[in-house]
Amino acid sequence: MSDVDTIQRNLRFSQIGKSLTRTDSPGKATGRTPYAGDYVMPGMLHAKVLRADLASARLKRLDVSKARAMPGVACVLTAQDMPDRAIATDIPGQTGRARLKTDQQILVKERVRYFGEPLALIAAETADIAEKARRLIEVELEPIPGVYDPEEALKPGAPVVQGTDNVVATHKIRKGDTEAGFAAADVVVENTYITPFQEHAFLEPEVGLAWIDENEVITIRVCTQVIEHFRAVADAIGVPHNKLRIMGALVGGGFGGKEDVTVETYLAILAQKTRRPVRLEFSREDSFVGHGNRHAMKLKYRTGVTRDGKITALDVQVIADAGAYVYLSPYVLLYCAVNAPGPYRVDNLNVFARAVATNNMFTSAFRGFGGIQAAAAYEQQMDEVANAIGMDPLEFRRQNLLQTGDPISTGFVPPSAIWTEKCVELAWQALGEPAPAPGGSIRIGRGIAAFQQSYGRLTFLHDTSEAWVGIEMDGTVTVRSGVTDIGAGQASSLAQIAAEVLGVTLPNVNVYNSDSQMTPLAGTTTASRALYMTGNAARLAAQAVRDRLAEVAAELFKAEPAQIGMEFNRVLVIDDPERSMPIAELVRVCASRGVHRSELAIFRAPFTDVLDPETGQGQAHPDYAYGAHAIEVAVDTETGEVTVLKSVAAHDVGQCINRAAVEGQIHGGVQNGLGYALSEEMLYKEGRLITPSFSEYLMPTAMDMPPVASIILESRSGLGPFGSKGIGEPSMTPVAPAVANAIADAIGVRVFEMPITPERIWRALQEARARGCR
Amino acid sequence: MYAEFDLTIPADLPEALTALAAAGTRAVPLSGGTNVLVDIRSQRIAPDRLLDLGRVHQLREITVDRGRVTLGARTTVGDLLASGEVTRYAPALTEAARVFAGQMVRNAATVAGNVACGSPAADLVPPLLVLDAELTLSSVRGSRTLALCDFYTGYKSDQRAPDELITAISWPIPATGSFGSFYKLARRKGDAITVVGVAVSLALGGGCCGGVRIALGSVAPTPLRVSKAEAVLEGQPPTPERIAEAARAAAEECSPIDDVRATGAYRRHMVGVLVARLLTNAIQAGN
Ligand SMILES: Cc1cc2nc3c(=O)[nH]c(=O)nc-3n(C[C@H](O)[C@H](O)[C@H](O)COP(=O)(O)OP(=O)(O)OC[C@H]3O[C@@H](n4cnc5c(N)ncnc54)[C@H](O)[C@@H]3O)c2cc1C
Repeated sequence: MSDVDTIQRNLRFSQIGKSLTRTDSPGKATGRTPYAGDYVMPGMLHAKVLRADLASARLKRLDVSKARAMPGVACVLTAQDMPDRAIATDIPGQTGRARLKTDQQILVKERVRYFGEPLALIAAETADIAEKARRLIEVELEPIPGVYDPEEALKPGAPVVQGTDNVVATHKIRKGDTEAGFAAADVVVENTYITPFQEHAFLEPEVGLAWIDENEVITIRVCTQVIEHFRAVADAIGVPHNKLRIMGALVGGGFGGKEDVTVETYLAILAQKTRRPVRLEFSREDSFVGHGNRHAMKLKYRTGVTRDGKITALDVQVIADAGAYVYLSPYVLLYCAVNAPGPYRVDNLNVFARAVATNNMFTSAFRGFGGIQAAAAYEQQMDEVANAIGMDPLEFRRQNLLQTGDPISTGFVPPSAIWTEKCVELAWQALGEPAPAPGGSIRIGRGIAAFQQSYGRLTFLHDTSEAWVGIEMDGTVTVRSGVTDIGAGQASSLAQIAAEVLGVTLPNVNVYNSDSQMTPLAGTTTASRALYMTGNAARLAAQAVRDRLAEVAAELFKAEPAQIGMEFNRVLVIDDPERSMPIAELVRVCASRGVHRSELAIFRAPFTDVLDPETGQGQAHPDYAYGAHAIEVAVDTETGEVTVLKSVAAHDVGQCINRAAVEGQIHGGVQNGLGYALSEEMLYKEGRLITPSFSEYLMPTAMDMPPVASIILESRSGLGPFGSKGIGEPSMTPVAPAVANAIADAIGVRVFEMPITPERIWRALQEARARGCR
Repeated sequence: MYAEFDLTIPADLPEALTALAAAGTRAVPLSGGTNVLVDIRSQRIAPDRLLDLGRVHQLREITVDRGRVTLGARTTVGDLLASGEVTRYAPALTEAARVFAGQMVRNAATVAGNVACGSPAADLVPPLLVLDAELTLSSVRGSRTLALCDFYTGYKSDQRAPDELITAISWPIPATGSFGSFYKLARRKGDAITVVGVAVSLALGGGCCGGVRIALGSVAPTPLRVSKAEAVLEGQPPTPERIAEAARAAAEECSPIDDVRATGAYRRHMVGVLVARLLTNAIQAGN
């Protein structure tokens, strides 16, 4: 469909697209919102986890007798107490797909594979007693040679951490004829880009409370992105799926770090063992080693290009550090491979990507999920190639950007609009006049980065989502859906959708969410999918209710159902708005006639098979989001210090549900992306994390944030409700390469490894000077 | 946080000193707590007793008297920023306060805590060093004053006896025409541990530099003055060559190490860059 068509599908919205006060805002603003950590129960025990302080070792001795004997200690558990228990770590949440057989030990049986791997669980009357007991446990670890670099791990004879050769996943994408493509090129540009580990660093570390209810159901209140881990946890502790219930709460940040199971298994085991309520809260140090981080990657890009700016071939080789356990590495790597060429038309393509196990912290989901590492590389490479042929980087992009209807790397044609070019132009223009050069050692530079990022889960996972919508006799609306709300307003957007469809105002809608046994299962809040999937389910459910109400209204007003409008809590005849009544009145009439005032709807994403294993051709995702980010920096060429002066995001979000929430995602994405580009660094020494606190792991603070401008385009072409796409991940994806390109523009040399620290800039400049470049 | 300790909350200074004397070596003074609580939580220290100075309000005054500026030991970093006297008589200290931590920590962190914590990265110390600051140490035995530049004896060790409290920090009002400044090089702008801190102070008279002070943070076991570098400029006209030589001398005099924030090589190089830069700015401001 053309761009004009999509704009003209414009509807008159009364709720959608506005910056309405989110349903979760008042509680958060006043501090009244209870988070998972705020729940307590009478007779509750407090748990702690004892962790290994080596990354590669054999457990020789674990003596818990002193801890067990301590007064106030209810239980101390080790692997000996649950010899055949394991937990699945791949494919979070609901899908019928067979798992990858990545089940792993819950507590160390014999082999320690990463620093911080849990050895024992302690539950006691108070947190202090639990802590004291933890210190009484005697541990003897015998170091065994580990491997801490994925390239080393690939070498023959390297210590084996997973499988037989440490290769956790391989993905290939082959298209066209790269040999011919490179032969047709005037210039071939080859570079290797290094992207770092990254920690989610949510405000709220992992926490939960478990108890056994009156029906013998093990119930866990926990901060999570995925309540549907109830199945994996039930399997792990050997109870039927319907006897394990996970309830969420408003979550203090997820970013992918609460996508895997964290405290749930420990809580379930301890509650099962003690038959008492148990609370477990990770400290910040626990949290650093308690969930998988972002994969560090090394991405080698070789691009063939003609002098007039046409990409003729691209070869991409990727090595990702999977850390000690598999978790979501195969999927993260697939996103990286699929997105390797970015939002560009590359007819001759070869991608070879491997995820490799090491004794570093295991890596898993993080906002952008492999797509962001690819973006960090392809967008820097686009600037390097443009430089090599002496073409303006924007012009070079314009020549190669995908347009609506073009196929991506896998041959799949995204069904929605591709407005990248518009976003690039608008973001660049919005930078305005460059900041005046202050002179001295300060240089000003600008960079642009475009991107492609999927929304919705991998289509071979056969994703579905359910929501229930009902309208009460006073005209208020209830939505029930399992969706977890991780701070982006997931629940509130369902309310806004139901309000729009049923013609009520937002404060009249209440959402019950995030309960694996009591709310219809909605799938994960991951993969920028919550709005797309659950939003559609809520819309379908609300529409069904609306249709029934409208039929009755039509009869009452002696009009056609199509002429019935509902907005601002009234029902009316569109062409004759004098004929109207409160929706509450209509609902009462419907109730007295026995009209069904609620609906449970399911929404199904497209279902496909896996990609062709040799060529990577096929459909991987439902659809993709596109946009661009522009950055202006000042760099001190003597010290290497970077100040981000301007940051402009331009995204086609399809359709805003809540404009302020979209802007919030963009602001957060900028903060997250700046940290990734400039300062966040997880340093390991023989697998031991040596930056496990916020004084060493440096996220941008309020004082580091530039002003952020958001240009929000609405193509209304997305697969989400009202044509929406996703913005949770996309908001971050292009930020880091835009920063990298701005720095390179400012100083004339490129730092190929992130984070681009002052010292790395200083070194790059020194090396350039030594080469006599400048 | 799991920790066990006794807590004494004296109502005034004499009570504090008596309590400290009675506790022998086992008590740790607690001021803003922005180091102490962090250290307890991370198990770097495990004090038997904390002596909370939070009610000793008389230690929170800033006075200017008989040619000296005196800060009570409980003056917070926030207080520094609010004080006209400090802005006037110690611009380098104001600059350090401005880039110190973030607002929440500035509200609690005290000057004496920063001096006493002994961190090589304590940001207020280089500016106080270039001001020729003196500490007043008090105990039940009486009070003594000590030049700040003589206070540190090594990494996190100093001249304070276990029964002593720092009660005041003071410096002479700088001569007219003198100019001081501070620069913090760090990995981010807020709440960052300094990678290299540099403070300078000098006065120009008759075309020559006088009272040249150069102090560095985060590049040695303690914050330190680099006297050889100072001597290069003292009494000399500030030519670009001499400034470069002073910068070189400063870089040689420090002994930076590699850590998670930066390598020693980078730090040493930055000492040269920043000393030259701050000296040049000071001289320009003086002209
Ligand atoms: C988030 C964060 C950011 C920070 N940023 C910075 C920064 O940018 N720059 C910087 O330099 N520091 C920084 N710090 C460290 C700390 O805030 C400072 O060192 C602060 O000045 C310490 O003062 P306090 O009053 O909190 O000291 P406390 O923690 O109370 O005490 C520190 C030490 O001094 C001793 N002490 C305190 N008062 C006295 C006294 N009157 N006599 C004798 N001994 C005493 C204590 O026993 C203890 O050993 C930061 C800390 C945090 C938590």
